[in-house]
Amino acid sequence: MQVAEFRDGLRDWIESRPESLAAPIDDGDVVGQLDHQRRVQRLLFDDGWMRWGWPAQLGGFGGTPLLRAVLGEELVSRALVHTSSWSMHEVLGPAVARFGRAEIVAEIFPKLLRGEEFWCQGFSEPDAGSDLGSLRTTARPHRDGWVLNGEKLWTSFAHHATRCVVLARTGQPGSRGISAFLVDMDTPGVTASPLRTMANVDEFCSTSFVDVEVPTHRLLGEVDAGWLVAQHILACERGPIYWQRGAWLAHHLALLIDHVRDADSEAAVGEAYQLLWAFRARSKSTQYRLARGDALGPEASVDKILIAATDQGIFDAARDVLAGVIETDDTPTGKAWRREWAYSRAATIYGGTSEIQKDIVASRLLGLPRSA
Amino acid sequence: MAELVDAAECDLVATTLRQLAEQYDGLQLLAALDDFGFADVLAAQPHAAVSALFDALGRSCGTSAAIHDVLMQPLNRLLPATGARYCVFLPAIGEPLAGRVESTTGTLRGLAVDYRPDAELLAPVLLDREIAWAHVHDSVQFSTRPIKGLDPTLQLKQVSAEGVPVTVLSAGPEARSLWNAVATAGRRALAYQITGAVGQMIDLAVAHARDRTQFGRPIGAFQAVRNRLADAYVAHEAAAAALESAWTADDEYLAGMLAKSLAGRAARIAGTHCQQVLAGVGFTAEHPFHRFLARALVLDSLLGSAAELRRTIGAYVAALGAIPRLVEL
Repeated sequence: MQVAEFRDGLRDWIESRPESLAAPIDDGDVVGQLDHQRRVQRLLFDDGWMRWGWPAQLGGFGGTPLLRAVLGEELVSRALVHTSSWSMHEVLGPAVARFGRAEIVAEIFPKLLRGEEFWCQGFSEPDAGSDLGSLRTTARPHRDGWVLNGEKLWTSFAHHATRCVVLARTGQPGSRGISAFLVDMDTPGVTASPLRTMANVDEFCSTSFVDVEVPTHRLLGEVDAGWLVAQHILACERGPIYWQRGAWLAHHLALLIDHVRDADSEAAVGEAYQLLWAFRARSKSTQYRLARGDALGPEASVDKILIAATDQGIFDAARDVLAGVIETDDTPTGKAWRREWAYSRAATIYGGTSEIQKDIVASRLLGLPRSA
Repeated sequence: MAELVDAAECDLVATTLRQLAEQYDGLQLLAALDDFGFADVLAAQPHAAVSALFDALGRSCGTSAAIHDVLMQPLNRLLPATGARYCVFLPAIGEPLAGRVESTTGTLRGLAVDYRPDAELLAPVLLDREIAWAHVHDSVQFSTRPIKGLDPTLQLKQVSAEGVPVTVLSAGPEARSLWNAVATAGRRALAYQITGAVGQMIDLAVAHARDRTQFGRPIGAFQAVRNRLADAYVAHEAAAAALESAWTADDEYLAGMLAKSLAGRAARIAGTHCQQVLAGVGFTAEHPFHRFLARALVLDSLLGSAAELRRTIGAYVAALGAIPRLVEL
């Protein structure tokens, strides 16, 4: 399947069924958002679109991963799904497929693609954000498996997730003593408590693990080699997810142009658009590199810095152009803008802060000496 | 196979042009480019030729009237192949066009980045409230004033003439689309030259941050310094990526404006951060930094600065009523 052929076919498919795909009005209701996504995913799976770009052993039809980026782009650029939840299978899917036991992956992956399962990411902790290598959740050998104890933060959609990729300490301090586990969220001892965001959305959680028993075959990769899994997941975030996030931003920028009425708003839209275009130009080559199977190095930090700046640039432009809407409009439109504007404030924080990315650029791309 | 041959040819063209730009400047460079057949190379491999030559000129802080060959690309078909060489006037800063024509007499006022001494001249002008292209055969009647400004080594010239005989080559919508194509070609070339100069500013500042020691360590170990240089680098990378994809966008005119605007934005960001990192020495005339800063800022002002273009771009997409993707997978 060629990219252009896939795109054209998908567009026809989308346009032929507007009623079944139309998203409910975004009022910040995550339950409604996820219910809708399940329905859309099921339709996409049944008609094959969801399966392209994934290998056959995962329930896919094969083909380049670029097809997944195009799928995300065509869906979110019409706001048929919300970009935040559409990214879940892309964040964790490739790493679980690569590091998980084949028989488990074969069983659960088609469910992920069909929308029967959502997966969440248990990385950050109250005292381990940017310094992820210092995490304190523990996994200790127990009978013929492991027992996990600790607390994870910012686990997006954990309260609606079926499984969680958890990083836990199995060995020495630092990043070399960490292992990755695929934990079922219904295991006794797992509790996900939503943390309301400043956008008034219950999207992410504090998730605690108290004597949670995890069988050996749920280890991802090798013991003490969880950092590899984490790096793989972070690299995947630079793939189709970024491409569809860019499309989501383009969709919002397009909503602004009807409201352009003076030189200031022209400049605001022009500035945001040029950032978006530069990001897309940059990201395109990254998408192709990932699709070829290249490992991403420090240069992917540039993509992260650019998309975060674009994200905030576009919603800053929204504040300027839609004077007062984000601040005072209580209609559903106003609420949706408010949610997106607020979410954009986190763009420079999640997935590795811009400061961490700049530090990587400084050391590894510019060759500056390590800071003391 | 054909693609491989093309790729090898592009590499050869790029390598040769870079070497020439490193070795020569000004009229010597122009003569070397003419010997190499730059105008023909440009017709065959525009992307490779423009990117290599103008990036190298940005890096060497050189200048060349070869930019007129680039500007002439869309206009060549209007003219008989007589072997004559041409220069293209650009509108003065802030002006939409480079003068006006009434029947066969022109009053012209424009800018030229360097100049071919023996050239005939083309200028986008106003004729009956529409855009037209005027051709002036005789350059003797022009008065030329070098513009010193912020960057006297650029060889920027103000060119003007009153009541000269002109031939109108094209008028109305065709002339408008030719102007858009000329502006696009010029914006891409200038954007390469600007990003080349920006790359040089970053290299100078990074070298300084590695070597310069304060408080017992290289200043490049301080986070405040590292963040500035990372910001400069990212702005440069963004502009460079955009510029490469400007050649394949379905709306080349819009892409050309975006590429030039992003190059100017990179110049502003990198100029500020690199100068701050270079601190005292970057403010002196003996350090080369100021030449690249001045070069990038003066080039930014031609064919629409970043400040003007982002407004123009916003108005353009608002009139279009859509956000063109420009880049597809």
